[in-house]
Amino acid sequence: MHLAFPLRKSSNPPPYANRSARFPVLRRSRVQAIILCACAVGAVIFIISQLFGGGDGVPSGSPPVVIVTVLDPENYNKEYINNIKDNRIEYARKHGYVTFFPTAKDYVLDGAPDTWAKIPAIRHALTKFPYSTYVWYLDQNSLIMNPEMTIEGDIMNPKKLESLMIRDQSVVPPDSVIKTFPYIKGANIDFALTQDKEGLVQGSFIIRKGDWSKFFLDTWFDPLYRSYNFQKADTHALEHIVQWHPTILSKLALVPQRTMNSYYKGDTETGTYKDGDFVIRFPGCDQAGRSCQGEAEPFSKQWKTAFRER
Amino acid sequence: MSLSRSPSPRPGGGWSSPGLNSPYANVSGRSSPAKSYRESNGGSSVTWESAKAKSDGINGYPSFSTQNNGFFNRHYRTISNSLPHFNLGSDKSYAEKEKLGRGRWMGREGSRMARVRSLVRRVSRNMKLRYLVVIALLAMYFLFYLTPLHYYWRRAKHLGGGKKFVVILAANQGGGVMEWKGPREWAIERDSVRNKKKYTNRWGYDLEIVDMSTKKRYAHEWRESWEKVDTIRNCLRKYPDAEWFWWLDLNTFVMEPSYSLQSHIFNNLAATTYRDINEYNPLNITHPFPAAHLDEEARSPIGDGKASSINLIIPQDCSGFNLGSFFIKRSAWTDRLLDVWWDPVGYEQKHMEWEHKEQDALEFLYINQPWIRPHTAFIQQRKINSFPEGACSENGNDTRIHYNEKERDFVVNMAGCEWGRDCWGEMYNFRELSNYLNRTLWEKFKEDLVAVIWFKITGQKIRI
Repeated sequence: MHLAFPLRKSSNPPPYANRSARFPVLRRSRVQAIILCACAVGAVIFIISQLFGGGDGVPSGSPPVVIVTVLDPENYNKEYINNIKDNRIEYARKHGYVTFFPTAKDYVLDGAPDTWAKIPAIRHALTKFPYSTYVWYLDQNSLIMNPEMTIEGDIMNPKKLESLMIRDQSVVPPDSVIKTFPYIKGANIDFALTQDKEGLVQGSFIIRKGDWSKFFLDTWFDPLYRSYNFQKADTHALEHIVQWHPTILSKLALVPQRTMNSYYKGDTETGTYKDGDFVIRFPGCDQAGRSCQGEAEPFSKQWKTAFRER
Repeated sequence: MSLSRSPSPRPGGGWSSPGLNSPYANVSGRSSPAKSYRESNGGSSVTWESAKAKSDGINGYPSFSTQNNGFFNRHYRTISNSLPHFNLGSDKSYAEKEKLGRGRWMGREGSRMARVRSLVRRVSRNMKLRYLVVIALLAMYFLFYLTPLHYYWRRAKHLGGGKKFVVILAANQGGGVMEWKGPREWAIERDSVRNKKKYTNRWGYDLEIVDMSTKKRYAHEWRESWEKVDTIRNCLRKYPDAEWFWWLDLNTFVMEPSYSLQSHIFNNLAATTYRDINEYNPLNITHPFPAAHLDEEARSPIGDGKASSINLIIPQDCSGFNLGSFFIKRSAWTDRLLDVWWDPVGYEQKHMEWEHKEQDALEFLYINQPWIRPHTAFIQQRKINSFPEGACSENGNDTRIHYNEKERDFVVNMAGCEWGRDCWGEMYNFRELSNYLNRTLWEKFKEDLVAVIWFKITGQKIRI
């Protein structure tokens, strides 16, 4: 079989290729220009959003930590209260934190003891400083002694927290069956506190802001707990919810007591204040026969010199 | 090379001519398909003469194809389309006389296939396209609705999304220890389960039937019959793909199985639900939460206002929340709610007071814990939980509460029928009503037309 010869090419090819469409809208050169323009516009928008958007919506310069202390100006003299305040304020100034000093009378407690006031106070702090990552609640009868320590760096930093946290530890010593989780990541922790011989301590603890913190505080503040005759009010309520509700236990880390809760006269060797500790607390100093002011007096001078020399 | 000059540009090449015994004997001057032709006819041993003889004479036809030559061949199709068509089925002599065929009129052979083929050929291109579309639609309809394909389609995550919904049906409530089930109770259970099975199969949802019979299952015997929480938690684990869980009590009936949850509620969640309880507030709950220290979201009557933040959807009846039919969504918030819903301290103080158990506890949480409100939405009761006349009947018929046949309410909940009302009777009536309302066209034709005419003619009522 012979196939037909292919058509001969013309010896004089036309100088221009035929147009395929009548009006070519997208010529190759134009396509390039359009793509380049689109890229440029995109880049400009990106730069502008970076400049003015501020990433995750946190305005720059917002304090990372709020220090909350519920004060009781009725039962303590002004000088003592001011000393406590100055201590927090100077520490906060050093690290760019803020302080928040409400009183128990600011909140409706429905007849529950004043110690409950710290829960709405923390919730209030979360509202007032919505861009702060951590709320550190520090009891009134305590002093910050080491100004070099930071909350977000030396305690709540996930790596650091993983090395600090006490795993598989009975929540209520010595032998409660509910124990802290043995495998838990530092990044998942929303609540760090300490334990003494009696149980969970609420004089000094840190909460990370978020949906969980609202849930936790609201649950803790439930009127049924307030009206229930827990032996030690809010302390036992906390121990109760931590032990009964795993969504709370799974966000909790116990850290060694002296990390942020050294006692002036510790009931255990591990809890007693030593020089260089972050915080000293005077638990029970409001009981009869003791004087908070007297106990805090020598340390007041000490923290002032410690803050000044650096 | 005996020639004085090579006639071809190819060095050492030349026209392959008779008598020349060059190694390129089968290569002509041009490289052409002729080669393959020759090879197929005997390879390199073919000589010029034999090839010529073969191509010239033997079959009497020109050696190359005449296709596409001449007017007829080129325009055959277009002309014959517009010509009147004669049935040439068996009349071969006609083709022979005309000398057109030369055996190529195969299409006009008498076989049935050929007839169809010629028919197809004669239909114009446009019409062909239209017929094709119709046939394709029909084929798709059959494929989709007469095979289980539509079930898998509706179930698939990114198509129908049926996998995202789980219906939890609480069966056997209070059975076991507390009371003995009689035939009526069994019938109720059978009907209710069948109704839900049909509904979930139709839309590709999952159905979880839970045995709620009272058993000693917990170390704390307090917790008995507070099993909603554990059941929902088990379902969260059992259906990891599911997003929304719909709790249904046993005494409910899906009246309109043609409503999908997606089209009825979830495609337009913001419009089908309301966040501000003040819209309908039988419990007189102070809303938003009366406390100044809370954040903006908790103090706003509608939370953040986005549909995506809704994790719990509950209807309210005349006396408050109703958990006979409600939705809960998989989320961290839900885990927390399920965790604190039952608490021993609350239970110890309130279990005498909270006769509706979880329902009262939830109301209590809603009233007292601000974190609940921004993620809870309410839905008009008749959307998922219409009551029959007997329930909530203190103030007569309420358009917000009671089932309306004309508006084709989705679900009926015969709440409280076990307290002095006839559960089985109500269930039966609603089942029949649902069947009646959802008759097919054929059934309507039979019952509304044929049976009526028959009745007029013969005076006898019949059931077809």
